[in-house]
Amino acid sequence: MSSVNLARALRAIKRSVWVYHLNSGSCNACDIEILDALTPYFDVERFGIKLVGSPRHADLILFTGPVTRESLPKVVRAIRAMPRPRLILVLGSCGVSGGIWWDTYSTIGGFKKLEEVLRENGVEVDRVVYVPGCPVRPEAIIYGILLLLGVVEQKVKKVEVVASES
Amino acid sequence: MSKGVEALVEMVGKLGGAVEDVRKSEIYIRVPREAVRAVAKLLYDSGAYLKTCAGVDERGTSGFYSIYYIFGLDSHGVDAVLKVLVPEHDPLIPSILPEVPAADWCELEIRDLLGIELSGRLTKRLVLPEDWPDGVYPLRKEFRYDEKPPRVVREELPEEVGIPVGPYHPALHEPEYFELYVEGEKVVDVVYRGFHVHRGIEKLAESPRFTYKQIPFLAERICGICGFVHSTCYVMAVEKAAGIGVPERAEFIRSIVLEVERLHSHLLWLGVAAHLLGYDAGFMHTWRIRERVMVLAEYLTGSRKTYGINVVGGVRKDLNVDKIDKTMKTVAQVREEFKKLADAALSVPQIKARAVGTGVLTKSEARALSVVGPVARASGLYRDIRKDYPYLAYRKVSFRVPLYTEGDNLARLLVRVEEVFESIEIIKQLIDMLPGGGIVSEEYEIPPGRRAVAAVEAPRGEDVHFVITGLGRPYRWRVRAPTYQNIPALRAMLRGTSLADAPLTIASIDPCFSCTDRVLVVDVRSSRRSFIKLVRGG
Amino acid sequence: MSIARILEIAFRTGRVTRKYPHEPPLLTPEFRGAVRVDPSKCWGCGACVKICPPNALSLRSDSGREVVLEYFVGRCIFCGMCAEVCPARAIEVTKEFELSSTSLESLKYGVAHRLVRCSSCGSLVWTEAELRAVIRSSPVAEEYVVLCPRCRKTRFARAASIRVGAGSE
Repeated sequence: MSSVNLARALRAIKRSVWVYHLNSGSCNACDIEILDALTPYFDVERFGIKLVGSPRHADLILFTGPVTRESLPKVVRAIRAMPRPRLILVLGSCGVSGGIWWDTYSTIGGFKKLEEVLRENGVEVDRVVYVPGCPVRPEAIIYGILLLLGVVEQKVKKVEVVASES
Repeated sequence: MSKGVEALVEMVGKLGGAVEDVRKSEIYIRVPREAVRAVAKLLYDSGAYLKTCAGVDERGTSGFYSIYYIFGLDSHGVDAVLKVLVPEHDPLIPSILPEVPAADWCELEIRDLLGIELSGRLTKRLVLPEDWPDGVYPLRKEFRYDEKPPRVVREELPEEVGIPVGPYHPALHEPEYFELYVEGEKVVDVVYRGFHVHRGIEKLAESPRFTYKQIPFLAERICGICGFVHSTCYVMAVEKAAGIGVPERAEFIRSIVLEVERLHSHLLWLGVAAHLLGYDAGFMHTWRIRERVMVLAEYLTGSRKTYGINVVGGVRKDLNVDKIDKTMKTVAQVREEFKKLADAALSVPQIKARAVGTGVLTKSEARALSVVGPVARASGLYRDIRKDYPYLAYRKVSFRVPLYTEGDNLARLLVRVEEVFESIEIIKQLIDMLPGGGIVSEEYEIPPGRRAVAAVEAPRGEDVHFVITGLGRPYRWRVRAPTYQNIPALRAMLRGTSLADAPLTIASIDPCFSCTDRVLVVDVRSSRRSFIKLVRGG
Repeated sequence: MSIARILEIAFRTGRVTRKYPHEPPLLTPEFRGAVRVDPSKCWGCGACVKICPPNALSLRSDSGREVVLEYFVGRCIFCGMCAEVCPARAIEVTKEFELSSTSLESLKYGVAHRLVRCSSCGSLVWTEAELRAVIRSSPVAEEYVVLCPRCRKTRFARAASIRVGAGSE
């Protein structure tokens, strides 16, 4: 039902991605690594990536944190404010799955639960890439963005093997 | 017990206090509920600082709720821990706020999380989310750590209606925000609205999911910037409570990593401060220098942040010749590069012009609010846990504690610049003196019912952990991060400053949450509300 | 012109940027990335599950005939405690950090273990790999190894009483 041509949109923003940093109650480690990626050693402006101050200007949201109860309504509002296509890069183990706080009383446990809430509120998300790490290295952030843009291939895949005798 | 402490304890005794237990650096005193305000006044007036207060649900053991007030007698290097019993059928304590302004938040937190009412002060919800139902108290033992009480829709939703962005920061920080009340350009009052990051850590540590061994990793994730401080403070508290001896080499390694963390944290802050002052070249270069520290941290511990090397009884990673070599080289490079950069940056007249005389916190205000760390040291309070309560290897090194009396943004900036150099000197001394031997003692037992207070000087000030041991995991673990103590001081700093200086002033306490992006500005004359952005674009 | 002093620093420093992914990342030899479980060594004992602070490692049993040790890297905090406690040394900390994925499912890695039933009462005892490891490391008669703890106790008690009885005659 999505009226957005994702491939076309990705081609259009490929060399100039405006990102907005959305923290839903993370410990700051991923957040300072995002900032680190902007500074000389990693310099993501090489890829045309620029941090902007409002989700209304953003092509991509850098999402961190396990989504605390207090921040939930505000996070939903921020994502709703983003124009389509909504691209989200979920950074850090907290965002991906709730991390070490996945089942506490004051967090909802990561992006998957948030996606359900977004759906209930009629907010569609067009593409999500999960980037595990605790915290995510600046290189991992770059890799995630490049994966989202289709520049690099995904390395991990689901594996289930049967234990065998050595 | 020194003479001064003895005299003080005697006076507390006259007010009804009874000494329960005397440890090497702590005195536990049972105080009747009615006398707590008088005892608090006595201690505070005699020069003690309030470190924190903590509510514990001890109905299972003693039949009462217990409230612990931890006072630091800095000049004696001893903590006086007051314990007040509160009966279950009458959960009420007299507030000590009128006597001890620093007790504001921790009292409200006890009310929020344990459901103990406070008499003699205004109360409001502080820690729990807006939609949390009344009458549900997470720190009561019958509350399961993974319970999710239903949402309650309240009338007074946050007053940011119409602004879709909410309290978010474009550059790095966490979702917290302040309401600044202004008259024209002048700030007249500030209200902090925070605790977006309340993740239920203290409760989680009591839950069956965690054991003593795993909690250091949890503690480290309290804060991603100074996490090692928290894990060190936690293991120190447990070791102190259970009387576990730690190998000397492990103490040295912990101290070295603590200083490496301080380096990265101060450089981070100085970069952000440069950015807030509109000096982005300085920001980029500070962070370039900081990257060396990050690489060093990873080489020493295995991770750029959340190092994960602390365990109860010692550390997990040893230093070898290569690591020592790399450490010495890195700190020498950082010292040289940062010296040049700091000289260049501080000679820019605009930097000084923006920072001098703004966001002033006077010494008496700083004292009343028991502020900690660089904020205290910039306001003329000589407070440094490394000197006042020497821990780990700090008693063996010599270093200077930078002290300024101006209390303005420049003073806080200069304190941190000087501390960078002091940290480098400390690391060099520690490496020179690094003893041999093992790095962890595995043989230990942690009996239940023991108590201990541990404090570590974090980059942002004194970090306090209070532990009551239980079976397999702490019965109660109370964490007081330094920023908790410093944020209330912002009210004093911001009142009367101009709006343009607010961002730098808020950042100047190096808030660990970590800063705010947008402040709600309310003009008290026209009651017009509008948002301003604190940091441009990023 | 004090503001220009920064230019001198900039020129002297030159370029520091690591052109990742075209250049290698800024990794040190100590870096802890994702862990790898060696299916030929893992016993499925669950020591790692017990120590894992965020519960990234879990034992799940779908059919009752096998248990799966599942590693969900999306919840991992990269502390490496699992590798430290693994009695079989089956867990290795790698330098892998390029873990980005478009789905949560592809962040999971599982090692399935067949369970062995108690030869006496038929309840599930332990995994085949654990059984092999025990037989290899200790001279226990296989007869006892495939028993659940309760059956083992009864059988051992019975055997002992027979022997004691024989001695007193």
